[in-house]
Amino acid sequence: MHVAITGAELLTCHGGTDTTFAALTKGVDGSQGLRFYDTDRINVTRGYHVDDSADAESEPPLRAGRWLARCVLGAVRQAGVDPAAERVSVIVGTGLRELRAMERWAVDGVPVRRRDLHFTTAIREVLPEVTEVITVSNACSASGHALALAQDLLAAGEADAVVAAGCDAMSESMLTMIGRVADAPTPALRPFQEGRAGVLLGEGAVAVVLRRAADAGPGALATVLATGLSCDAHHETAPDVGGIVAAMRDAHRRAGVSPHDIGLVLAHGTGTALNDPTEAAALDTVFAGAAPGPLVTGIKGAIGHTSGSAALMSLLVAAEAMRSGSVPATVGLAEPIEAAAGLRLVVGEPAPCDARVAQVNAFGFGGVNAVSVIGVDR
Amino acid sequence: MTMNPDPMTMNPDPVTVTAHALHVPDPIGGFAATAAGELFSSVAPEPACGPEQAHTVLGRKGLLYKEDATRLALCAVHRAFGLPPGKLTEPLPGAEHTAVVVSSNVGNARTVRDIVAEMRAGSAHDVSPLNGPNASSNVIASTLAIRYGFTGPNLMVCSGATSGLDAVRLGALLLRGERARRVVVVGVEPDDEVARGLAALRPAAPGTTVPVPLRAAAACVVLEPGGRGPHLGDVHRHTRPDDIADALAPPAALRLTAPGAPGAAGGIDLTAHLGEVYGALGVVQLAVAAAWLGSGQPSGPGGALITCGDGEDGYASVRLDPAVVPARAGGG
Repeated sequence: MHVAITGAELLTCHGGTDTTFAALTKGVDGSQGLRFYDTDRINVTRGYHVDDSADAESEPPLRAGRWLARCVLGAVRQAGVDPAAERVSVIVGTGLRELRAMERWAVDGVPVRRRDLHFTTAIREVLPEVTEVITVSNACSASGHALALAQDLLAAGEADAVVAAGCDAMSESMLTMIGRVADAPTPALRPFQEGRAGVLLGEGAVAVVLRRAADAGPGALATVLATGLSCDAHHETAPDVGGIVAAMRDAHRRAGVSPHDIGLVLAHGTGTALNDPTEAAALDTVFAGAAPGPLVTGIKGAIGHTSGSAALMSLLVAAEAMRSGSVPATVGLAEPIEAAAGLRLVVGEPAPCDARVAQVNAFGFGGVNAVSVIGVDR
Repeated sequence: MTMNPDPMTMNPDPVTVTAHALHVPDPIGGFAATAAGELFSSVAPEPACGPEQAHTVLGRKGLLYKEDATRLALCAVHRAFGLPPGKLTEPLPGAEHTAVVVSSNVGNARTVRDIVAEMRAGSAHDVSPLNGPNASSNVIASTLAIRYGFTGPNLMVCSGATSGLDAVRLGALLLRGERARRVVVVGVEPDDEVARGLAALRPAAPGTTVPVPLRAAAACVVLEPGGRGPHLGDVHRHTRPDDIADALAPPAALRLTAPGAPGAAGGIDLTAHLGEVYGALGVVQLAVAAAWLGSGQPSGPGGALITCGDGEDGYASVRLDPAVVPARAGGG
């Protein structure tokens, strides 16, 4: 069952929805020096912070939850949803939950409540009447999974409107593991770039309000045709072409589209040694025979790897690109890797685009894949 | 938009519990005679090993750097499928269309603390890279998929006190949405020092002064559409104490409740025997109810009614009805 996006809000290192879209159009790399952490010990020096602190030392509490609440509330208001008058579910996709608060409690003694680890309280403080808040912690594809579940809840008639959301702030443990496997601190996140040096973390939150397309009325931002899900069941950290291809084909089958129908792909594109060639190979496999193939771009060079938010952020960029007829270039990409030679990557300048259907890729640690297909009226 | 006709369909078959297992190493109740203890002992007579002995169930391969919660979850799944001790050499039959939904809130809390502490004491290079997967909260769900070959959708639910029944709800949704032919739902929590420290921060349940001690626990239920087993109802959420009353009618033959839950009077609170099992509770309760219904006890109509949650996260409830309602006395 198709569902309509009737409200949306996001927050990134560039600010809100409009300023983020503007920064993407201009190709602005939003990374900066890493705040709050000992960069020498952690072996990470840069990141894409949401600007919510007075200085680089004073870290506000429960940042992810506050950004989430702001985006969910904004999207709900934009959609004109009244949780007191109808059944509204909230599905939050997140990679790191509020583990940062747990770290600060366990290592620094900063007070925390156990319930702060998930997002029920953060949402109920701004929207007390929602039916339920479910926190799904599915790594870097979490909000793509939240979107799939939201669509299924609507199709099953178990809700009148569903907010699919994502949020993540950086955590010291995840930065440590990124620093652990880097020879030297990664200077920039460069998706599909020859000689790319790895991933940098981004921060932010995103929320979309969904209704059954038949109930939505005019003026929807986009229609979600389907989301395909799969699990590689292959390796804890390395992606697998077969698992990713399965998610893409599941998405196409559920959406009732063929590869020929898809004019734009928002890639996962993390700038890591493993993801980019694997993702390129999967796209080559799925779009073989659909010449010239879709335009392909990625947004992580501009906003960082926003983990649990990444899928829905890419989705909103895909919708905006189709509505405006202009696809932002992949920030940080100048010379694509050999493995991506078959992709129509958008490099240097925004590309004109008349696509009406786009695919959005999101792949997470543990081989959890979510691929969405969306459409717009033009 | 003139798209192709919307091809998405929903599976109308009832969701059934076709297998279940409990793996609770060290309940607080011991041998004390309580209704909760008697019920639990009647459905889970086998002792359960602790995480450090998980190799007796799973074999030794592949457990290095696996957290307690992951080990206990693996044990519960292994037992639910009735597998012999040791690691499988090939995926389970049907694994290709099997989804995984795991509920756990503090499964990787200790690892996260340790990674930060080790880095602060030296640098990132002093941390074992083998701990990397554990920094991601979904490591339990993905580990189950890798070990048993489950390539269906893979979800990690970290929703607090309602997380167990949230996972059950999402598992049923994956079946209805035809995303899988079988769903393995697991609830699991560890009781390491970080998990216990976090538990100590919570308020006591209404009407009590001391929080129930945290204990490690794992449970697994396997859901299938139209299978042979008890029928799972819809999971209902209750955000206000008074709106749970509707869910309590009609009366159930077995009522499992949570500390402080509205309408808990007369129900059995398993945590009185097990200890607090937080995000595992809803799945533990469902596994107990499925075992009880399958044990040939005269349950009559009404089946089981399960409620989990707390005063902070709200409550969720679900019914589990017998596969075949016995004929009434004097009938047929």
